[in-house]
Amino acid sequence: MDRSAGVRFVDARGDTAVRAVPPDPVARIRRRLPGTVSAAGSWVERHALGLVAAATAAILLVVFYFPVATVFVEAVVVDGRVTAAPLVDVLTSEFYLVDILWFTAYQALLSTVASVVLGLPAAWILARFEFPGREALRSLTILPFVMPSIMVAIGFVATFGRNGTLNTVLRALGLPTVELLFTLPAIVIAHAFYNAPLVARVTTAAWESVDASAIETARSLGASPTRAFYDVVVPQLRPAVAIGATLTFVFTFASFPIVLALGGFQLATVEVFIYSRIQSLAYSEAAALAAVETVISLGLTYLYLRYEGRQRGDSQGANPESRRRLWPSSWTLREVGIRTVIVGYGVVILAVFVVPVASMVLTSVTGGGGLTLEHYLFLVERQQTGASYQVRPLPAVRNSLLFGAGTLLVAVPMGVVLAVLTTRRFRGRAAIDALTMAPLAVSGIVVGLGLLRGLVFGVEVLGTRIRVTGAVAVVAAHAVGAYPFVTRSVAPLLGNLDARLVESARSLGATRVRALVDIELPLVAAGVVAGAAFAFAISIGEFDSTIVLAEGSSSYTMPVAVERYLGRRLGPATAMGCLLLAVTSLSFVVIERFGGRYGGRGGF
Amino acid sequence: MRRRSFLRAAGAGGVAGLAGCTGGGGGSGSGSDSGSTETATPTAEDTAVATATGTTASSTPELVVATYGTFVDAPSTSPGRWIKETFESEFDATLTFETPDSEINYYIERANRGIDIDADVYAGVRVRDLIRIDEQLDGGLFTTVEGVPGQENVKSDIQFDPSGRVVPFATGYVSLVYDRTQGAYGDYSAPETFEGLLESEYEGDLLAQNPASSTTGRLFLLHTIQEFGPDGYLDYWADLQDNGARVLGSWSDSYGAYQEEQAPMVVSYSTDQVYAARSDENLDQHQIRFLNDQGYADAEGMAMFEGTDTPDLARSFAEFMLRPEVQGEIAQQWVSFPATTTADLPDSFATYAQEPPEGVAFNYEILRDNLSEWTREWERQFASK
Repeated sequence: MDRSAGVRFVDARGDTAVRAVPPDPVARIRRRLPGTVSAAGSWVERHALGLVAAATAAILLVVFYFPVATVFVEAVVVDGRVTAAPLVDVLTSEFYLVDILWFTAYQALLSTVASVVLGLPAAWILARFEFPGREALRSLTILPFVMPSIMVAIGFVATFGRNGTLNTVLRALGLPTVELLFTLPAIVIAHAFYNAPLVARVTTAAWESVDASAIETARSLGASPTRAFYDVVVPQLRPAVAIGATLTFVFTFASFPIVLALGGFQLATVEVFIYSRIQSLAYSEAAALAAVETVISLGLTYLYLRYEGRQRGDSQGANPESRRRLWPSSWTLREVGIRTVIVGYGVVILAVFVVPVASMVLTSVTGGGGLTLEHYLFLVERQQTGASYQVRPLPAVRNSLLFGAGTLLVAVPMGVVLAVLTTRRFRGRAAIDALTMAPLAVSGIVVGLGLLRGLVFGVEVLGTRIRVTGAVAVVAAHAVGAYPFVTRSVAPLLGNLDARLVESARSLGATRVRALVDIELPLVAAGVVAGAAFAFAISIGEFDSTIVLAEGSSSYTMPVAVERYLGRRLGPATAMGCLLLAVTSLSFVVIERFGGRYGGRGGF
Repeated sequence: MRRRSFLRAAGAGGVAGLAGCTGGGGGSGSGSDSGSTETATPTAEDTAVATATGTTASSTPELVVATYGTFVDAPSTSPGRWIKETFESEFDATLTFETPDSEINYYIERANRGIDIDADVYAGVRVRDLIRIDEQLDGGLFTTVEGVPGQENVKSDIQFDPSGRVVPFATGYVSLVYDRTQGAYGDYSAPETFEGLLESEYEGDLLAQNPASSTTGRLFLLHTIQEFGPDGYLDYWADLQDNGARVLGSWSDSYGAYQEEQAPMVVSYSTDQVYAARSDENLDQHQIRFLNDQGYADAEGMAMFEGTDTPDLARSFAEFMLRPEVQGEIAQQWVSFPATTTADLPDSFATYAQEPPEGVAFNYEILRDNLSEWTREWERQFASK
């Protein structure tokens, strides 16, 4: 951020901090407008929002709704006749309804609670404390999001297993050991591993967008710090926490490989059965199960969206509170208490995140009873001598980065425009919103099958078979999975902005797009950057669509390479997984640095 | 063509792969390219071969072999590359692998929707795949293969296709693998019978796999049905579950957990020691137990697609795969047993690849009529806790 306009001062707690002078958004509008009024005549600029929205709808139709429909139709059409039988079968089956769907919802609920509990303190620390490496750490929070489940499984067994790190420590301390693996808590912790970072990331973005002057106003009116926190900060965090929780529920409701790897079949979720039915080509049953799953996820999303739509703020934008130092200058009792909490939280983070990741890294350098680099040498050798039908590491890295960058470039405009449209109020807004969120709520396995049928096999039009595969299709499919994150990272913050800001700009002659780019986006830059990072992460971690659309080893990505290297030993797959981690970490840091500059240039 | 000649001139694996990538991406750059149907264009064929053969690629016949990813890509156990290089060096042909993620289902879907299939041969058909094909497709997918030289040497008890479409090329046995070092005094030993697994001393000791998604999991389930019958296996599994047996999603999940010493027994293959010995692991951690002195046989074979445009080359491939020296090489690389009685194998192979006193397996007809129902009943019982 550009601190040149900032002033150095000492706040009430005695901590030195740097803070920007509160900007006057309306003055900024005036400053910017003279040059733009004449240019505002451009047709494209005036219609940009509509154009992007139309493009989004077209992409959604081609790479999502149409392919998915080819599968869902099997739930209601059997042997050419329309029937409700498959759906009725699922909805009247005690096994599916009680044993599977109910259990799936139950574990998703527990996982959501765990993810929120684990994620919120991280948001607090990242948003409210200053320490070396804070920005890098914030960038890396979404790293778990991209981890292939096989690597997480390895890391978790090594950490929480019978002879894992946790039990070794407990034994050394003379404490009783714990049997975590193949129990419900193991699944819940694994889901928190994947999703607490999501909660943390969106909440951090919201927290960083809280206007400090509003807190100062509350304080000057006599509110205690606690009071000001509850009345000013909490209402602005609530939508972010709610979306984090909603997304976590939707994801963990459709969770699949990790459930069987760490829980076992006695804890099977509905997605396990969708996969199994699709494998055995029992499509109508699979489609019926997936339809029920989607309705539940979308229903929940709809409830959230109605809630989000009711939130309206009058924030003048991001003039964040000053951060406290992690290492305080004076150790009062209160400061000691806060640091004790942080240290305790750090220990939990160490156990849930750091040790499993470290275990994966360790597996990649272990073999034949000792430390070895042979698995990495395998990567080098495969790179040098791999054949065309084999997956080679560097092309996989390059494909992942290209698809990730492409996804980011496509998904961010899509997501931002939809966020703008959805912050308008109109009847049925939440329903349309929910439809645009559907890519998150449909089983990845069903999407994969739909893409195979609809795009890879193609459609016969006037004697020509039209197929959509390869890099462009992969990016489009990734963008469809990614843009809802951008929308949901940006929309709550946009909703918080004072509507008068845009109105002033418009009345001064700015187009809607100009007002968005010059006024709103800089004020919600934290959300845009978070959304961009999510978009990239979704693309990197995506598997089901990629492997269907890529068609051939030369277009495969890093997670596909991890899967293909699995054989009789884990080493090569984990070495590739560590390469994935390294490349992705670096990318996240770059994205946030770059995105941070955008916010700095426009906003402060 | 221009790209191919460039590749030969460059003659470096790295460049070849790179051009292959841009080719794949560029081919569909238009977004809807009806011409880019080949999934693996032979642009980046092994450069040694590409440079050696002066002929143009178009005049060289191409044999497209469909198989699953592990067959060509898993670093530890993939015979794909050796097969391709050896086959191409003898036959004036290009062998192209096609490895769709949904494996045999990919071709069933294509056939179901009336879309052309490029592949000529499928390598890695199991009896379960054959059942799916016969359930889903009226017209079938594969053609009958008769009179291929060497076919008479295939072990009679592993021929699983009554219609003679599939020629087995490898077989194996599912057994328990256990870790001797995990006992109280480093003397752990797996039980010798199925009933033994129910004893309290083995509580929480067994890792198995989901029969719906894993081959070893499915075959272990079938073995229990062989032992206890269709009316008794669910009761046995209820007891097994009570004794803490865990069923994970995939072989990798369970074998990974086994190697992390999460449990001392895992359902796997009886050739386990071949790989362990090759990578200098402690063989005490790779002990084999055939429950009731039996191993459930797992055979896989190759079959010719009905629409193949190179039936002669496909037959040559089948003949090639059954040769004694090729059978021996596949067995060692794929860590399996040969399908023929005439395979050339080093004496050391028998030291680590263990065959059960008795091999068991259900035949095609029984599985066709029962497999999905047996699996579903098992799922319903096991998943409802």
